[in-house]
Amino acid sequence: MTSPVLTARCVHKSYRLGKTEIPVLRGVDLEVQSGEIVALLGASGAGKSTLLHVLGLLDPPSEGEILYDGRSVHGLSIRERARLRHDHTGFVFQFYHLIPELTALQNVLLAGMMTDSVLRYWSRRQEAKKAATALLERVGLGDRLKHRPAELSGGERQRVAIARALLAEPRVILADEPTGNLDSNTAEGVIELMFELQRERDAAFVLVTHDEGLAVRANRIIRLRDGVVVG
Amino acid sequence: MYRFYLAIRYLVTRPINLLGMLGITLSVWALVVVVSLFSGFMVVIEEHVRETSADVAVTNLPLWADANKLGRALTDDPNVAATAPRLVHFGLLHEAGKRPPPPPLPGRSALHGGDQPFLFVYGVDPAQERQVSAFDAWLTSEEIPAAMRVADPSRPFATANDRAQVLVGLERMKREGLARGDELVLTTGIRRGGEGRGEFQQVAIELEIAGAFKTRHGGFDGNILFMGIGELGRRLAASDEPGPAEPSPTPGTGNEPAQGQQRVQEIAIRLHDPTAVDDTARRLQEAVFRTLQRRHYGYGLVETWRARNADFLGSIEHQRWLLKIVLFVILVIAAFLMLATLSMMVTEKTGDIGILTSMGGTPGGVTMTFLACGLTVTALGVALGIATGTVTSIYLEEIRQFLIWATGVDLFPLDVYNLDRVPCNIDGWWLLQVTGMAFGTGLLASALPAWRAARHDPLISLRGN
Repeated sequence: MTSPVLTARCVHKSYRLGKTEIPVLRGVDLEVQSGEIVALLGASGAGKSTLLHVLGLLDPPSEGEILYDGRSVHGLSIRERARLRHDHTGFVFQFYHLIPELTALQNVLLAGMMTDSVLRYWSRRQEAKKAATALLERVGLGDRLKHRPAELSGGERQRVAIARALLAEPRVILADEPTGNLDSNTAEGVIELMFELQRERDAAFVLVTHDEGLAVRANRIIRLRDGVVVG
Repeated sequence: MYRFYLAIRYLVTRPINLLGMLGITLSVWALVVVVSLFSGFMVVIEEHVRETSADVAVTNLPLWADANKLGRALTDDPNVAATAPRLVHFGLLHEAGKRPPPPPLPGRSALHGGDQPFLFVYGVDPAQERQVSAFDAWLTSEEIPAAMRVADPSRPFATANDRAQVLVGLERMKREGLARGDELVLTTGIRRGGEGRGEFQQVAIELEIAGAFKTRHGGFDGNILFMGIGELGRRLAASDEPGPAEPSPTPGTGNEPAQGQQRVQEIAIRLHDPTAVDDTARRLQEAVFRTLQRRHYGYGLVETWRARNADFLGSIEHQRWLLKIVLFVILVIAAFLMLATLSMMVTEKTGDIGILTSMGGTPGGVTMTFLACGLTVTALGVALGIATGTVTSIYLEEIRQFLIWATGVDLFPLDVYNLDRVPCNIDGWWLLQVTGMAFGTGLLASALPAWRAARHDPLISLRGN
């Protein structure tokens, strides 16, 4: 049996506010298999986004451990964690977080530059550009390559963000309310696209949402309440 | 790769960064142009000073020193090409029967020839003097008008009467309306009596102007008179009889030259190889001490031309250092400007820090991104500043001419400094130093915003807009 691509074991996370310790996650256990779509469902403040950040190595757990492909990431250096984050996971955020100075193509290409030296990137720049263009064409933005984020609609921006998350061919996509900032028609289109791409690439998908209708389309729903998995 | 890529994108989309770059450019330009101008000025001043100073001089010779013996000891050195004796005295120059003019106002610089009545009188032997200095050229300068020119430059002190012939600097001649043949009086004093005793006696030497001389060192022309060394020695000796209470001096032990021996106070020396001046001066000092048998401390000092003018040249060098410091302050101000624009950019771009981190960026990478921004601005500013500064320095004279033509304002009046054109000396080492200083300050100015960016928590920007 293969190891889960992503595992959380008894993860606790708390933040300190002055002298007060505020627990956000309280012993979360989670396993995500390759190619699986998992919906994290919960009300605001339940700890969904915090769990996503901990799973994506953006925030270390206060207690517990995270495993990628069965290997603990505990004790890795900042550089090693960053490399793992780049190679293993892709992020899609509610507010797209595109870099406004860059065109759609450049935003996607940037993901391919993160771990390359100048010389290494220069030697494979044509290949990287071809891959980024193909991805943007795949998400339906073949005619928007040179448009800056300010010239794109919300749905188009999110498609660029999805293409960016997929460029490094990650094992897991972590999506934090990816449709939360879109109207229902656009949101439906974006979700359909994400599910299609997930199937094509057999990547695991962790989707944070508070939309029950969206959650039921996942393979599995994990409900969070006050930092605890309740179902 | 992303660090440099993003840095360039951030910069080209924010024209405000041009401010920082222009600040660096301006300060580097000023550092290059002003220091090149001043260095050029120093080179010219050194040339002018050098022209009027022998390579080496033996100074403070006592009257009992045997100048011939000393001259032979000096010419034994393989690097000594020629020597010339000088007798140096002092006095007030004025018209007969009139008081000397008042002393100059404070602040009048001797550099420009001054207008002071107090002068040094150099007694020289023209035949020997022209072996160690450009004496001939000083007398035959084309700038000297015919009415002030020496009649026979080969025998400048030849006279048909009993008045001592004297050469006066051209600027002083012009300023005081003097001409060849004019009669003047040099009022001076000599000490009567033995060493450490005696009193000063006023002496008036009647002079006739033999003509003008012109060097490129205004201070020299304004403060020096030339007379024949024999004539000056005789005039001083005639008034130098010991007082009745003084014991008769014994030649070789007192304050009188030996019988039949010329009074010499200084020996000017020209070297075969002026670049070896310091080593030669050390050897000559030993030779002088051996010859004088070191009987009197402070006598017979051997000084190079640079050592003799150390105060003057040192004061100009000091001014150059002050200028460098003042101009460096401009660079620091430019760096503060860059710091302000980079800080604004970091504040604006905190949103990007979160997404960079989520894509595999590290705090070090974020630091490098903003450092690259600052260093790119610095590099462009330095490159532009060095290029424009160098071109401006090369064409300073043309720029001066253009400004005179366009505005009528002469920013650098050449005649004040006896110059033919605006001097310029572009020193490669100084350009390297300026580049280093600019990059140093640029690095410091970029480091603070970059460090602030790296400390920013990426989750804050990821949690919401």
